[in-house]
Amino acid sequence: MSLVELSGITKHFGGVRALAGVDLGVEAGETHVLLGENGAGKSTLIRILTGAIAPDSGTIRIDGAARVFRNPQHAQALGIAAVYQEPLVYRHLTVLENMFVGQEICGPAGTVRRAAMAATVLPWFRELDLDTDLLARPMSSLSIGYQQLVLIAQALLRNARIIIFDEPTSILSAAETDRLFAIIARLRAGGRAIIYITHRLAEVPRIADHVTVLTDGAVSGTFSRGEISEEQLVTLMAGKARGHAPLASPRPSAAEAEPVFSVLGLSAPPYFTDVSWRIPAGAVTGIYGLVGSGRSEVALAAFGFLRPTGGEIRLDGRIIAPRSPKEAIRLGLGYLPEDRKLQGLFANKPLESNLTANVLSRFVRAPMRLDFGGLMGEARRVMSRYNIKAPNPLTVIRTLSGGNQQKGLFARWASRPFRVLILDEPTRGIDVHTKDEIHAFIRNLAASGVAVVVISSDLPEVLAVSDRVIVMREGRVVAEGWPRELGAEGIVAAAVGAAEAPRVPA
Amino acid sequence: MMSGARGRTRQASKPIPGQAALGRFIASREGVLLVTLLVLGVAIDLGSHGALWYRANVTSFLVDFAITAIPATGMTIVILTGGIDVSTGSMLGLIAALGGKLLAAGWGLAVAVPAFLLLGALFGLVNAIIIIEGAVPPIVATLGTLSIYRMLVFIVLGSAWLTDIPPVLTKIFVTTRLGPLPVATLLALAVMAGFAIFLRFFRAGRHIYALGNNEEAARLAGLDVLRIKRASYVLIGIFTGLAALLNLGESPLVQTSTGSGFVLTVIAAVVLGGTELSGGRGTILGTLFGTLIVQLVQDGVVLLHIQPFWSGVLLGLIILVSVGLSHAWHRPAEAA
Amino acid sequence: MGGIGIDRSRLLLLIVFLGVALGGYALIDLQILAAGNLTSMAVFAVEVGILALGQTFVICGGDGGVDLSVGAIAALSQVLLGLVLKDRLPWELGVLAALCAGAVMGLANGLAYAVLRIPSIIVTLATMFAFYGLALVFTGGINIDLTASPPSFLAIGQGSVIGLPFQVLLIYLPVFLACAYLQLFTAFGRGLYLTGTNDLAARLAGIGVNRIRCLTFVIAGVLAALAGVVSAARLGTARPDASETGNLLSIAIVVLGGADIFGGDGSVVGSVLATMVIAVVDYGLSYNNFNPIYQAGVIGVILITSVMAQNLVRFRARQRS
Repeated sequence: MSLVELSGITKHFGGVRALAGVDLGVEAGETHVLLGENGAGKSTLIRILTGAIAPDSGTIRIDGAARVFRNPQHAQALGIAAVYQEPLVYRHLTVLENMFVGQEICGPAGTVRRAAMAATVLPWFRELDLDTDLLARPMSSLSIGYQQLVLIAQALLRNARIIIFDEPTSILSAAETDRLFAIIARLRAGGRAIIYITHRLAEVPRIADHVTVLTDGAVSGTFSRGEISEEQLVTLMAGKARGHAPLASPRPSAAEAEPVFSVLGLSAPPYFTDVSWRIPAGAVTGIYGLVGSGRSEVALAAFGFLRPTGGEIRLDGRIIAPRSPKEAIRLGLGYLPEDRKLQGLFANKPLESNLTANVLSRFVRAPMRLDFGGLMGEARRVMSRYNIKAPNPLTVIRTLSGGNQQKGLFARWASRPFRVLILDEPTRGIDVHTKDEIHAFIRNLAASGVAVVVISSDLPEVLAVSDRVIVMREGRVVAEGWPRELGAEGIVAAAVGAAEAPRVPA
Repeated sequence: MMSGARGRTRQASKPIPGQAALGRFIASREGVLLVTLLVLGVAIDLGSHGALWYRANVTSFLVDFAITAIPATGMTIVILTGGIDVSTGSMLGLIAALGGKLLAAGWGLAVAVPAFLLLGALFGLVNAIIIIEGAVPPIVATLGTLSIYRMLVFIVLGSAWLTDIPPVLTKIFVTTRLGPLPVATLLALAVMAGFAIFLRFFRAGRHIYALGNNEEAARLAGLDVLRIKRASYVLIGIFTGLAALLNLGESPLVQTSTGSGFVLTVIAAVVLGGTELSGGRGTILGTLFGTLIVQLVQDGVVLLHIQPFWSGVLLGLIILVSVGLSHAWHRPAEAA
Repeated sequence: MGGIGIDRSRLLLLIVFLGVALGGYALIDLQILAAGNLTSMAVFAVEVGILALGQTFVICGGDGGVDLSVGAIAALSQVLLGLVLKDRLPWELGVLAALCAGAVMGLANGLAYAVLRIPSIIVTLATMFAFYGLALVFTGGINIDLTASPPSFLAIGQGSVIGLPFQVLLIYLPVFLACAYLQLFTAFGRGLYLTGTNDLAARLAGIGVNRIRCLTFVIAGVLAALAGVVSAARLGTARPDASETGNLLSIAIVVLGGADIFGGDGSVVGSVLATMVIAVVDYGLSYNNFNPIYQAGVIGVILITSVMAQNLVRFRARQRS
């Protein structure tokens, strides 16, 4: 009998299906890897498993008994713990206190008995090879890797039998990763069930007893160790992209032309090192890479938001060093940021303000007056050009559908005469129809001579729009070439670090 | 993913070996404050040719210190939870007016003293209810009650000053000494010590820090977040009541402006003491030093025969420099 | 910007407050609606109203921005003006000095915030002490008597033009229009809005977030100085402790006027209406021989209830969507 067993778990958000009947069983003393691209439904699954959200349908069994989690505490009490890549901590409390918040060991008067608490965690700290000196230090003085270990110790302390790791290694160094894997092996040997979520293929043979591949919210297969080759896993992960042929009519001549924009040997540790992108005009360069591969940071550095520590950025052959997005825009660079809500939207402001935020200076008339007629006209023009459905330009953007919001942000950048346009996840979380629309706009931009960069972790998207593809992993460029030559599987293999990955052309 | 853009704080990747406790203290915020305090003290001592130690000066310094320190202790706790209370000055005036009336009407201390504290608790609770139940941001809510309490002072006092306060308070809190310290000061030190211990060693005290550090996590960990917040506002109310009592001891007089402007001094002491306005970080020891520095600056300019008006200028500069420095030290390694 | 940058429900609320206050007083005594009384109300409100206009920009910029030092800036500027007048220099020079000093003080606040990255509430708390302190230092703590100043100067606070008080018609009104213009019709105003709404998004859209926020402090400084000049002219003295209540009252007015204390939603028109509400309440109380201190309490109640009402509206709206 499995220690934990999910069957038929389904979840929708709004109209979008996140999980479609997922089955998963994990035994005690087993490490079960959940493998999938971004957006495959991994995080939704964890949130269900930790009681943060409830599934629409399906059952969760623990020790064979069906359970419905009332809240996260309930899931915790049933022995489930999760370790996230960016741990939720109390920064200024000590490590020891972090582990015990809400469950302190107290004397009769309500005093916190630190010695007793320290004694309680001692065995677990030993098991994890953690120095007990750490206990008295503030959590904020620890690296993320150590913070994770502390949270693992906390999970053990609370008798967690099922420990979920959510992409724990994406911001760890190699040494920290090795240490983590050794610990996971020990936990597993101690009879716990480990669910390990990752998109890094190379990690699978190192720790997995079983691996389940999640594609587009559904399980596309569960295999035991040794039963499946890396190649087959790649094929499964790329499954969604099969049938999505690469661009039918690429523009290789344009893509082979001299780059109009390039970053050369650019570095900004710890995000990325020695990255070179050569971006030609009149073509779309797709940057494929998983979250944490440093791709957005390269864009932010080129856009003057992040200060690179080395390398150079060239536009039309001249070295540029924008110190702010404002300066980058003036130089002719545009950047559609990745996170719509956090970095893009002015949620409770009218569509018109959102569409024109980056070109206000063009509408300034003396004395300091903004040309409202012009702005409204511009907004109307953009709305009809990009088919943004809203009652009028003064509609508050928050009230629009996700797809129309995204089209608005896309249009904020696409409707301006930029030399270079970097689009970061231009279609994340929107419906298929709008996605296709945006893809067509992207192709048009390239056809009109713009040097377009599309950063995406959505492989079909990269294939659908790119003339040329650059693949990034862990802060480096790991492959570059024509989509047809690389193929869906080649791209995924490079991005997840499979052994058979194609090499960067010399 | 956005870690790049939002900036990640600098972190040691490896545990640093333990430093000597003394070295750590001196490098800490409290250590810096202590050094500042000593430098100020020595400078004033030398500059005033010992006038700093005249008995009258010491007494007034110590009592002033107590009146600021007690509400500052409460303010520290409120700010630790991530809130703020700007109504303290008006509240002090109102409690002094109501309590003063009681005293003037001949009620004994056995009635008056609990009344001062209860009134404080009540007004603090009013703040808490508006903030928690009404979901009004703390600064707005207490800005509102600041005005309301001030109005009530006028209603209670009419346009007259309240002067017939029995001297018993002065006798107890100011004139009576245990060792070198007036009772008021002892009381303040006791309150500070008590709450320093509470915050450091008691479960409920640690929960205050947890809440201020990460409200969401604290809620998920099952802490009664609202109760902690409510208690902190009630507490600063009670402390304000106590301060009102001491204030009447120092000068047995209530006027309509009593306590106005006081809250800014209190907040200055807390901020100077290193408590962060975003919550979750700060100590009572820091507040103690902060309060001493504020008082010493005000006292010092008088003793040094500088125009007393420089005290505000100095105080402002000290706040800017000390907070500016600590921000420069602890600034997150930010993206461009 | 469509409309005047203020939420319709808030606009309605303020007008209702205004109507109720005026109507209530009118029921007691219709005379209060006489022209003379209305202008007295206006005179009452001008100084804190100007402070509030500057405060509006600071709060609108977000990141918890508030300026606790506006009253202190008014005092110090007023004192500088007084010193110039005492030396029998042209009063225009004094006014100019005051306004420049206000700009410099505002710039100091803005730079400490934007460059040193100290939270603005701490910066302005510190400078509030410092500016009041300097005002005391410059005057030795004594009010400067300005009653012997040139009549043309005193007219700023005491004169009248076509039957209306000078400072209402020739100072407050133009300043209000300029601020409204700045907020509603300029790139600065638009950038400020966007900054207050989402500063990360604004920065990534190429808006100079730091420069804009810094500028709001400069504007607040200049306007505070102007308020100081007006009050000096009205009272015929320059007081080093002028406008002590203005620091917090101006914040209260801005919040009452519909600003979100967390930024992005302030409006000049809202602040003006809120100033009017306060002026009416204030004047009505003293007109009816209530102690004017009731004003403070009424403002407190209005402030709290208006934010709670807003919360309720938003809560309902969220439930519906």
